[in-house]
Amino acid sequence: MDISTPSASMPVHYTKDGSAIFKLGFKTGLLTFATLGIYRFWQKTRIRKFIWSSTSAGGDAFEYTGTGLEKFLGFLIAIVFLAVYLGVIQMVLFYLGLSMLDQPDPFDPMSTVRFLAAFYISFFAVLPFLLYALYRARRYKMARTRWRGIRFGMDKGAWGYAFRAIGYGLLTLVTLVTLGILAPLMSFKLEKYMTDRSHYGDARFQQGGKWTGLYPALKHVLIGIGLLVLAGICGALDIPALAIIAGIVGYIWIFVGFIYYQVRSFAYLTSHKVLAGGITFDAQPRTGEVIKTYIIGGLAIGILAGIAFAILGVVVGGLTAAIGSGASIGSMIGIGLLAIAGYVVVLTLVQALGLSMITQPILAHFIETITIGNPEALNAIRQRESETGVDAEGFADALDIGGAI
Amino acid sequence: MTDGTPAQFFDGLTAGRHEVRVALSDDRQALQIAGDSLPEPLRWPLADLRALSDTSDASRLTLTRHMHTDDEAPRDPARLVIHDPELIAWLHRTRPGLFRRDLHKGTLPKLAKWAAGSVAAVLLMLFVILPAMADTLARIIPIEREVAFGQSVTRQMERFLGGKRVGALVCDNPEGKAALNKMLTRLTDSREMNYEISLQVFDHRMVNAFAAPGGQVVILRGLLDKARSAEEVAGVLAHELAHVENRDATRNTLRAAGSAGLLTMVLGDFTGGAAVAIIGEQVLSASYTREAEATADEFALTMLENANVDASGFARFFEELEKMEGKSAGLPGYLSTHPVTRERAARAEAFAAGQSGTRPILTPEEWKALKAICD
Repeated sequence: MDISTPSASMPVHYTKDGSAIFKLGFKTGLLTFATLGIYRFWQKTRIRKFIWSSTSAGGDAFEYTGTGLEKFLGFLIAIVFLAVYLGVIQMVLFYLGLSMLDQPDPFDPMSTVRFLAAFYISFFAVLPFLLYALYRARRYKMARTRWRGIRFGMDKGAWGYAFRAIGYGLLTLVTLVTLGILAPLMSFKLEKYMTDRSHYGDARFQQGGKWTGLYPALKHVLIGIGLLVLAGICGALDIPALAIIAGIVGYIWIFVGFIYYQVRSFAYLTSHKVLAGGITFDAQPRTGEVIKTYIIGGLAIGILAGIAFAILGVVVGGLTAAIGSGASIGSMIGIGLLAIAGYVVVLTLVQALGLSMITQPILAHFIETITIGNPEALNAIRQRESETGVDAEGFADALDIGGAI
Repeated sequence: MTDGTPAQFFDGLTAGRHEVRVALSDDRQALQIAGDSLPEPLRWPLADLRALSDTSDASRLTLTRHMHTDDEAPRDPARLVIHDPELIAWLHRTRPGLFRRDLHKGTLPKLAKWAAGSVAAVLLMLFVILPAMADTLARIIPIEREVAFGQSVTRQMERFLGGKRVGALVCDNPEGKAALNKMLTRLTDSREMNYEISLQVFDHRMVNAFAAPGGQVVILRGLLDKARSAEEVAGVLAHELAHVENRDATRNTLRAAGSAGLLTMVLGDFTGGAAVAIIGEQVLSASYTREAEATADEFALTMLENANVDASGFARFFEELEKMEGKSAGLPGYLSTHPVTRERAARAEAFAAGQSGTRPILTPEEWKALKAICD
């Protein structure tokens, strides 16, 4: 990593517009419900276009070039493959789960656990596909992102990713008994796998740093675990007051510690990325800001949703009372449909509020703290070939991963 | 506009930024793009101009051109970013095709092909492969496993109906149980049963009975309260025994395990998707169950015939059911899991008319004891 000519760094900006993204999210959410989910591909596309165009580096906005139609097509292709695989696998595994079952008793918790395990065993059949889809989704997003007219891109390698993710996952699971001490290894190696296959134009990204560099980010999780261990010891020594206090504090500490880990590991991993030509990055997101956004946004959405549901309840209840007991079947069904429609509208509202009050502000905070070093070198980067072979997240959508954006 | 308005141009070849000036050409048919860093001025015909949609900043407009490329959309990779509000407003006003979504040639046929393919794959899975597999698996599952699963379902049901512990709802008045067993023996005597039947009554006011996998049959007290004769109960019991012998419960559970995963996958994770998935599964399972119910009715009538039990009790039960369904009678047949009750009543009625030599299934005392099984 050599920064040959020290030049002014390039800031990255995010222009926040809460009401515009709320309107877009709400409108497209309703359209998605009205079309029984088919519009979701266009919804996702439009929201991404909005978010990408809100982000700019050195004054030049990013561009998202994905289309709803290609996502729909990718989904149809994924369905053809997954319908057969999933349907058969799920039933066979359910059958096997059933065969392993012995005299379950719903009043005995262990037996219920076994029962549930038998049912959810099918999850493990889908896991390789989930990981595969995860990589493909990121690759698709990269292939559809442009800045200054130049494409980003990512090499093929989804199965390699799935294979490694399962390997590191097992390793972490094994070491879970030693307090998940290898979690940074997994975070780092998987991110490195993806970053080292990423490009901007003809320039390749590289993930520098060491996996052990993530340990400082893990410290609050470890403190939280320590407190829980302390609570356990106090419990064993019969000091209940201390055990309860240590337990509660430890629990909250771990929760906050996980957010801290995500924020700090993002900062570490971003600050150690290099783009060919000596272009460096720096990110300084703050955990406090992220937690504050979660709390304030969560509270506001909770209150607004409560009010909306209360209004809906009053309207439906009032209508039911007004019609009285001698209601005809038609009017009963009418009220029922009204209640369902109202419920969906409120849910869509909550989703759009989440986009506007939590997702966007957190995204904005992360982006705003990024700066690009040695931006002069960017000018020399040349265009890369377009990629049409990607399945446009079809698998990710069919398998329900990827989230709002 | 001799010099034109300042803008940024990206040539789509390198990441360098060109500071340019944009003006309308003399023939007013194109945008003229000129800048020091460009080797020669560019001419973008107005008819080919396209702009990026759903952008957050209304004060800038990013232009590109309609062009046949290998990209996801037929667009020139070059971009022109303009900021002049007058020019932006003029383009919005005079170019109706500015935000048009152009498609590559052959996109729609390709879409139609895959849409047909995926619909066919899903239908094939839901209506042919999954039911056939469920059939096969239901046949090869070891009976003791099926019994274990059935017992677990029955217990879950008991808990669901409000039982606080295993057996809390089970009615065990000895005379009542004796009457119930007599009824069971009379019905099953005439044929070889694949399963050992475990018959119970739950103390719950719902008018219902169900057959869980592996020969677990449960009658709810409400049904006994509502029935006017032992023959009515016998008819319902024969119907549930038919489900046991046909392994309907096992088969349905296996099929649902496969199709539920498939349905959630097709519908995705959109708001309200769960509601649609539940309705979908209901319609789907209704279509399977209706068939199974019709078969079970026929099986039950044969069983009653062989045991010399009057089937008019069974018919009367359906009439009673129809009265109770009064409120939901508006529900179309394809939504309800059981064949339309009136038709079933008529079928049982016709069958009863052809019966002769029937004798009562319980004595009046035994019938009284059965009704009091939960006391």
